[in-house]
Amino acid sequence: MESLDGTNWDVVIAGTGIQQSLLALALSRSGKGVLHVDRNAYYGGAEAAFSLQEAEEWVEKVEKQGGVDTYFSHASIRKNLEHTGEKAGLGPSRAYTLSLSPNLVYTRSTLLPVLVSSRCTANEQLGFQAVGSWFVYSGWAAPGDSDTSTTHIDSHLLRVPNGREDVFADTTLDLRTKRSLMKFLRFVGEYENQPEIWEQHRKKAFPAFLLDQFKFPTASHAPLLALTMSPDPPSETSTEFALPRIARHLRSIGLFGAGFGAVIPKFGGLAEITQVASRASAVGGGVNVLRNGARGVNYKVQQTPTRPSEGDAQRNLSEPGSGDAQTALIVQLDGGETVYADWLVGQDADLPLATQKYTIGSKPRRPSVALKSITIVDSPLSSLFPRTSDSSPQPAGAVVVFPSRALSSDQATDTSPETPPVHVVVHSGDTGECPAGQCVLYASTALPASSGLPLLDSAIVALLVGVQEDPKPCILFSMQYQQQSGDTSSVAAAAEDSPAAARVLQFPSPDLDVVLSDDIVSNVETAWKGIMGDDAVDFMRFEARDGGGGEEDEDEGVSYGPP
Amino acid sequence: MADSTQASAPKPSSSVKLVLLGEAAVGKSSLVLRFVNNDFQPNKEPTIGAAFLTQKCQLPSRTIKFEIWDTAGQERFASLAPMYYRNAQAALVVYDITKASSLVKAKHWVAELQRQASPGIVIALVGNKLDLCEEDGTTETPEDAGDAAPAEGGDDEDVVARKVSFKDAKAYADEESLLFFETSAKTGHNVSEVFTAIANAIPETSLKGGRAAAASGGTQAAISGAGAGQESRVNLNARGDNKAQEGCAC
Repeated sequence: MESLDGTNWDVVIAGTGIQQSLLALALSRSGKGVLHVDRNAYYGGAEAAFSLQEAEEWVEKVEKQGGVDTYFSHASIRKNLEHTGEKAGLGPSRAYTLSLSPNLVYTRSTLLPVLVSSRCTANEQLGFQAVGSWFVYSGWAAPGDSDTSTTHIDSHLLRVPNGREDVFADTTLDLRTKRSLMKFLRFVGEYENQPEIWEQHRKKAFPAFLLDQFKFPTASHAPLLALTMSPDPPSETSTEFALPRIARHLRSIGLFGAGFGAVIPKFGGLAEITQVASRASAVGGGVNVLRNGARGVNYKVQQTPTRPSEGDAQRNLSEPGSGDAQTALIVQLDGGETVYADWLVGQDADLPLATQKYTIGSKPRRPSVALKSITIVDSPLSSLFPRTSDSSPQPAGAVVVFPSRALSSDQATDTSPETPPVHVVVHSGDTGECPAGQCVLYASTALPASSGLPLLDSAIVALLVGVQEDPKPCILFSMQYQQQSGDTSSVAAAAEDSPAAARVLQFPSPDLDVVLSDDIVSNVETAWKGIMGDDAVDFMRFEARDGGGGEEDEDEGVSYGPP
Repeated sequence: MADSTQASAPKPSSSVKLVLLGEAAVGKSSLVLRFVNNDFQPNKEPTIGAAFLTQKCQLPSRTIKFEIWDTAGQERFASLAPMYYRNAQAALVVYDITKASSLVKAKHWVAELQRQASPGIVIALVGNKLDLCEEDGTTETPEDAGDAAPAEGGDDEDVVARKVSFKDAKAYADEESLLFFETSAKTGHNVSEVFTAIANAIPETSLKGGRAAAASGGTQAAISGAGAGQESRVNLNARGDNKAQEGCAC
């Protein structure tokens, strides 16, 4: 294998999470020499996806590290070894792609146009599938029924109307609710222009706003709260947080086809995007190296001012030992090599302690925690994936929301403590993440492992009862892990106020939102601009190599690559 | 792009994903560029690190459209992503017959394919740089292939001779049920034969139809869940413009 020792780079990127992978692509196609390293043996970092065997190895690693230096802790796996019956059990390890990043991507997300213009979606490298329906769980015990065992609870999954036509056609809603719902949906459609209605409620709880302004009885809040995908209990979900999110949901429906507003990347969520982007970066001349991280970084004694060197990876690799070039940084790799670079970029878990660093995405974020679980079941759960209209694609994803208190054992009373909601994103076998006829359930709730685990477990059980499939779906495998977010480790580093002064750029840690944040793209663009300086034009817009404008992809012999 | 397209239009056409594997500088890209460029645009500059090349292969009964994925250099530090192997129906594992270690590496890639790729994948083992071992046959071709040019390492510059015998490599290929060829990307010797052999070896049942035959059963689909996937695909190019374009349909 070639040696990296002594090589020069414009940019060293540490970690292959989605932000780093997109940045590597953007920079390499903008002519920068990019060395992209990851200490893991797999792509994706905190957004990776695993086969069953890789998942077990990952869980073991997380437990060994005890949560140090990573966002993950409290990981465990449970397998159902007693599975019997007529249905197929757990398939071979590689038949599964379990994702740490099953995020929903709204069709209005800024990520999608970037993936299209950077040609990541060309030639079917990257496929997206529809998330068709949102369901809300209601598990009220039947009146007069004092037995609280699960089977006796009349559990329902109610489909959330997918916009105004759905509300109109819905037979379960009474006329009054329908009317106020329609009124609300009309308002959300242009809430920005109607501050008089919500401005005074901005910081207040969203349920109170619904009650005061729209006379919505509390009992009918659940579907609207579900659309916010808020990680917090209702009383902590503010109106200013909820409104844009409901608006985003509604405005996304129909953008890429009838009947859906959100999509998921096929074959493992964001992990797939990290792989496609890393490969595209390599096509642009970037060099990808797994199993080798950035261990240390030092500034050259004589720090020279910004000199955007016209580097490309090929040349750099063939001229080893020229460490006297005008690079600002000396980077030590885990493999013992020393490389020279003008910039080093990564997430805090991937970056060595630096004396100065610039944190991208200035928005302060509170530290937060979530417990997540991944469950494989031996049923297609077909009732969760109805075609939402005649012309819509077959959905491969569905969302089931368990509202606050819906799962509490002492029955929902106003006095029981508010719990955060549980969000379950269900992926069908169509995603390629499990064999056909099975499903993968990605659940999360904003609680630490100790209190979250029983909640997630009962959500999965309630979901499997609530779908009312026959035969009853069986759990084949499940894993659980706690994930932390929020930036904690800016301890030793002086925060620099411009990228150029710091030379070491830090991306924020992955956030815990089930919905992909638009910050991903804006963070990548900020880093790209900082590094490109005056040459920053046309972010992530690449031509097909033969200049056919994109339509000619299918013709033989047409290729695209670095200019 | 003239001649191959207008030949016998009504034959069924299917796409086949083919991945390249092998040590750096054995001539992976140049084999493909020879195969693809030979048919049209012979003067086109070789492309280093192209993402995709596509080429049709006409068989008597059908047309196979190869979607050829290049490693983009990711093999240099053993950093190929799982998405590279996924749903590949054919693989070209290339070694350099003048470099014994490259066959060792090729065997490693074959093992990796058997571990990572779909069970029914057709693998062709190809010993390249035959021209270096044939005293007579090598008429120099000026547009010799990009990153495969042997000059880089400087290991075996002076005495260039065969280091891997045909017999040994063939025996290994037979053992593992691989197609086997020795080629020269430089002279073009045996290059199109490799691709034709692969096209012939792909079982009819594992072909996902181009426009027409949509049925794609078989183990591969069952394992990867790719079977019903096509109709669930969301077309991101559909936004705003007319759908008649069929931008990324398969």
